[in-house]
Amino acid sequence: MKLIFAGILAGLMATTAAKAEEMVFTSWGGTTQEAQTKSWAEPFTASAGVKVLQDGPTDYGKLKAMVDAKNVTWDVVDVEMDFAIKAAKDGLLEPIDFAVVPKDDLDPRFSNEHAIGSFYYSFVLAWNKGAVSGEPAGWTDMFDTKKFPGKRTFYKWSAPGVIEIALLADGVPADKLYPLDLDRAFKKLDTIKSDIVWWGGGAESQHLIASGEAAFGQLWNGRVFALEKDGADVGVSWNQNLTAADVLVVPKGAKNKDTAMKFLAAASSATGQAKFAEASGYAPINTKAKAEMPADVVKGLPDAHVDGQINLDMNYWAEHRDEIATRWYAWQAK
Amino acid sequence: MSVEIEQSIARMRLPTGLAGLLPALTLIGLFFVVPVLALLLRSVTDPAPGLQNYAALLGDGTYARVFFNTFLVAFVVTVVTVLVAFPVAWMLAIMPPALASLLFGIIILSMWTNLLTRTYAWMVLLQRTGVINRALMAIGITDQPLPLINNLTGVTIGMVYIMLPFMILPLVGTLRAIDPMTLRAAALCGASPLAAFRRILLPLSLPSIAAGGLMVFVMSLGYFVTPALLGGTSNMMLAEMIAQMIQSLLNWGLGSAAAFILLVVTMALYALQLRLVGSKRPAGGA
Repeated sequence: MKLIFAGILAGLMATTAAKAEEMVFTSWGGTTQEAQTKSWAEPFTASAGVKVLQDGPTDYGKLKAMVDAKNVTWDVVDVEMDFAIKAAKDGLLEPIDFAVVPKDDLDPRFSNEHAIGSFYYSFVLAWNKGAVSGEPAGWTDMFDTKKFPGKRTFYKWSAPGVIEIALLADGVPADKLYPLDLDRAFKKLDTIKSDIVWWGGGAESQHLIASGEAAFGQLWNGRVFALEKDGADVGVSWNQNLTAADVLVVPKGAKNKDTAMKFLAAASSATGQAKFAEASGYAPINTKAKAEMPADVVKGLPDAHVDGQINLDMNYWAEHRDEIATRWYAWQAK
Repeated sequence: MSVEIEQSIARMRLPTGLAGLLPALTLIGLFFVVPVLALLLRSVTDPAPGLQNYAALLGDGTYARVFFNTFLVAFVVTVVTVLVAFPVAWMLAIMPPALASLLFGIIILSMWTNLLTRTYAWMVLLQRTGVINRALMAIGITDQPLPLINNLTGVTIGMVYIMLPFMILPLVGTLRAIDPMTLRAAALCGASPLAAFRRILLPLSLPSIAAGGLMVFVMSLGYFVTPALLGGTSNMMLAEMIAQMIQSLLNWGLGSAAAFILLVVTMALYALQLRLVGSKRPAGGA
């Protein structure tokens, strides 16, 4: 009995002692989180002596529930940028401590007072060379079922990307996209609705294209990068590639806030960003990172395709998130 | 004197009995009643007090369609499950015990396999470039791949497969308990096999079919993974819509209201079944 008691006591002491040197990092799982673990968490553990526990996948409902219940077990979370802007407005996030996180080298497009860029990516047009004859040149071809028959795959959830693609294909100039003309976008999407297969996650998008289940689609560039690395016979068009970003945030009331800020500093450093970009094919948000990367990797980044590149407007999306989502899901269910 | 003692003992028994139930009642109260009440409360207070969440759900065409889809899928799945399960259960009931337990093992083993794995397996089988479509095209039955996935067909196939054990297991118990002499007697009296089935086997197993069917129906109403993976966006079911409201839109008031409506409908169905079939356990239910 005494022994058990002593054991419990020792256990308690151990957890209190360990708590000061632990934090929880949450991301989307899969190859992305593996790369984040290797590029950020492991070096951070080595240099700062902080054990980084991995959790996931990111779940906005869970994040809100933790903050509402004042029992926040996540310290750093990888989220989509439009969500981060909205969440900051709703009071769900801690402000970034720029005394700890150096700001000067960060790409201003992908960081703000409540979020530090995690990585940025482009939506690109990818196709299975065995299932498509000819080369689709851009988004317009995805809506041309005569010239390019077959199923096409798009991102299933209401998020920046598909609406813009429909508008671009309908002839809206890139600088006139916002405010989004939803009626026009849905009308355009209606023309190919029966040929759309939706993908809900990165692995699904890879599977659809690699198997030829969908002849072509709108994919994250990192997922196409991984397909090419695996030797899949895929083509890719960077024409009008659309950038969006994931950011790292600290939920309001995070237990290890100070450690979290140090982690953000390490993750957004030139070295951290360079390593992650090399492992994932996503682009660094630190402008100095490219200097530390092999030249052939730099060539595959969205940075190498800025010609005709379009930045999806995260602020617009944060502002209209709910309104667009309501219409989006109603249209899908029709 | 002795009557008084008996009475006082009887009086004492009542509170003792209730006290014995206390732990169970506390458990149910804490983990079932309180959360349901919290859900109800949220549905009428988030974001503002009032019934606007219910008004939004019931007054909108999209949500109406999702409700309709949910019941349509649950109904189709239940009917198909019953139609497939009955012959299997009958075969299991009359075949030699050794063979029957082997088949039982196979059915139960499928229940123990991870749900997600089984659903993904169906994706691989059913997709346009999948095994089934390739085989059909190779034999020449069709020259275009059949649309077996991302629609009602896909959802039905995947869900019936998952629900079958829940129907087969109780049915086998019931069918085994039916005295084979009744069927022999029917045959001796000149009943055709169909008449024997319709007038003896079916009525005797009806309570079990109803109980199993209701279980399958109710489980189907709240299903998430299989419809999400094998269905298309136009067959969205309520569980997927609730997940969207909670996880993606963070509209917890609306999500709670949708969940509460689903709960009320389920309870109403259960009450209806109690009235129709009675609360007695089906004979020999496993």
